[in-house]
Amino acid sequence: MSFRRLIGKILLLLVMLLVLISGVTIPGCTDLQAVPRGWSGVVIADGALFLGSMDGKLVAMDKSNQDRLWPDVLFEPKKQTGGFGCARSPEAVAIYGTPTVTEELVYIAGYHGKLYAVNAKTGALRWVYPREDYFAGPVIGGPVASQGKVYIGSADERLYALDAATGDLAWEFETEDKIWSTPSVDGDTLYFGSFDKKLYALNTADGSKRWQFETKGAIASTPLVYDGTVYIGSFDRYLYALDVSDGSLKWKFLAENWFWARPVVDSGVIYAGSVDGKVYALKTENGDKIAEFDLGSPVISSPVLADGAIIVASEEGKVYSLDITSNQESRTANQRQLANLEEKIHAPLVAGNGVVYIHSDEDILYAVDTKSGVTLWSLSLKSE
Amino acid sequence: MDIGQIWDLIILSPMINVLIVVTGSLMDNFGLAIIALTIIVRLVTLPLTTKQLRATKAMQELQPKLTELQKKHGKDRSKLAQEQMQLYKESGVSPAGCVLPMLVQMPIWIALFQSIIRVLAATPEGFLNLARHLYSSWAQVFSLVPLNSKFLWLDLATPDRYLLLPILVGGTMWLQQKMVMPRTTDPKQQAQSTMMLWMMPLMFAFLTTQFPSGLALYWVISNIISIGVQYYMTGWGNLLPAAAGKPAGRDKKYIAHITKVEEKATDYDDVGADVGADIGADIVEPGAARKEGEARTPYPTSLRMVKRHPKKRKHPKRR
Repeated sequence: MSFRRLIGKILLLLVMLLVLISGVTIPGCTDLQAVPRGWSGVVIADGALFLGSMDGKLVAMDKSNQDRLWPDVLFEPKKQTGGFGCARSPEAVAIYGTPTVTEELVYIAGYHGKLYAVNAKTGALRWVYPREDYFAGPVIGGPVASQGKVYIGSADERLYALDAATGDLAWEFETEDKIWSTPSVDGDTLYFGSFDKKLYALNTADGSKRWQFETKGAIASTPLVYDGTVYIGSFDRYLYALDVSDGSLKWKFLAENWFWARPVVDSGVIYAGSVDGKVYALKTENGDKIAEFDLGSPVISSPVLADGAIIVASEEGKVYSLDITSNQESRTANQRQLANLEEKIHAPLVAGNGVVYIHSDEDILYAVDTKSGVTLWSLSLKSE
Repeated sequence: MDIGQIWDLIILSPMINVLIVVTGSLMDNFGLAIIALTIIVRLVTLPLTTKQLRATKAMQELQPKLTELQKKHGKDRSKLAQEQMQLYKESGVSPAGCVLPMLVQMPIWIALFQSIIRVLAATPEGFLNLARHLYSSWAQVFSLVPLNSKFLWLDLATPDRYLLLPILVGGTMWLQQKMVMPRTTDPKQQAQSTMMLWMMPLMFAFLTTQFPSGLALYWVISNIISIGVQYYMTGWGNLLPAAAGKPAGRDKKYIAHITKVEEKATDYDDVGADVGADIGADIVEPGAARKEGEARTPYPTSLRMVKRHPKKRKHPKRR
């Protein structure tokens, strides 16, 4: 009896532990505290495509034949101490921000907290920032280069302006919370959002603050500057249109969930995709809703304008072409499914010469015809 | 709709949104929100907890009897099963009673774990996952996320680097286990209990070094509440050395009643008879035990009480 009871007790204990551990670890490790994977978009420059792969490499390929320009540059993950489970160190550097390219250099930032400048012609590493060690927080937004400087925000709550050629720190600006937003430069003003709920407009010369605008939610999205207006989506579910000169509110529009993707403007209409699964078409002058397109799954990937239509991808992998045709009496919203890649899509889209480039969560790069929706080619970026 | 979606819809999402709103109403302090929600959850499941504790204790008290039955009918399985059933039935104890309430509570605990982890999302993927759970009709939820994960010396999203929480988790769990541990002289059982006593706390202390400290905070608070409930139900139990004549390890609520019964228990000996007169030999006569200053097995009195005052057992407050 006692032996049986012992077995029974041990079994019960094991089952309890199993349930507990699975209850704790399944949400903890597989889908949440998950090892960050990244979703870099593609940048097109000089007939070449540059992007960060999900195994932590900078890939450069010829646009026409997809040949590599130079061997992929693999970034070294940060070494972490820690045991099993959630604390395990990532196998690869996650890259969320799309690289940016100047004539000479490609800039790319890793989630582990480093910014790299790589020679665009040879793939040789030019400089890295911070030189030693890492940013004190992960980097999610991408770098932006303009007029001899490169800008990057970090979850260490600071925005850094570096000399584009040497990687020397020009100035830094401290906010009150994490910065996930990719900055936008317009003229001599830099715009970016922070988790402290504010949108900042800084003087690019010295990092002094021109103005700030406070929303009611954290800002992770990238501002769009267009025709004297800054458009920014926030976690408070509003899309804000602000005057570039002083940050005064022109209008705001409420969706049902966060705005994460950067919107796009075409002929007086702004198209903003929301995590609620819809793309809203609003009048740029007053924010009136013209139409909404229901994509059925969240829009994280920033849409792109190609040949008079908006190309947008939903999280579940469907690619749509949206546009609004208008005659004297009315406007008609057209929504056409171009392709279904059946892979998750978070990376921003980019288009050129009638082709949209889509980097899926399976680390496959697709080239899709913006008119016919035919997949022209696809290429896995995974290392063999 | 698969089971995961149903789980999300009816348990996880409500819990996540409540956790966020509670944080908002507690000065944006997520640590306080975890503590508050833990207390709420434990209060809601209190009837289940007490039920389980009672059943477990009753089972412990029945144990010597079951052993006796085993000895007696060891060879005749069907007879043994029959006798055991009879014993359970008469004493009003059901073995399922120990496990069922715990099984019912587990999903709630797990949901609380999960929502804490989800709300503390750190990666972009984690955030998107969280966005799915937020109620679009609750505007404040969107303004509050992401929550501030700083609490006292802790960053609730990462393990406690000062190792204070693992010690607290292990310590409180050990205390609680020690209180529940049955008092026994059987060396085999003692070895077993000792193993249980150390294994779980060590295990959880180790887990605490790996998981976000928000979870550990939940464990500590939950353990402290368990200790409180346990104390209310049974006193310090096994935590104190067995004192002579003290009704250690007994449900406090019944102590007065039981003592009364014991005092006028001149007719004691015949009482156990209808429950299991055949094993009466093993029963320590309470009065005698007192005289000799030994620790008694608490079982016989309880059983007698059940037998004699079945209604009072069920509704002790009526007394």
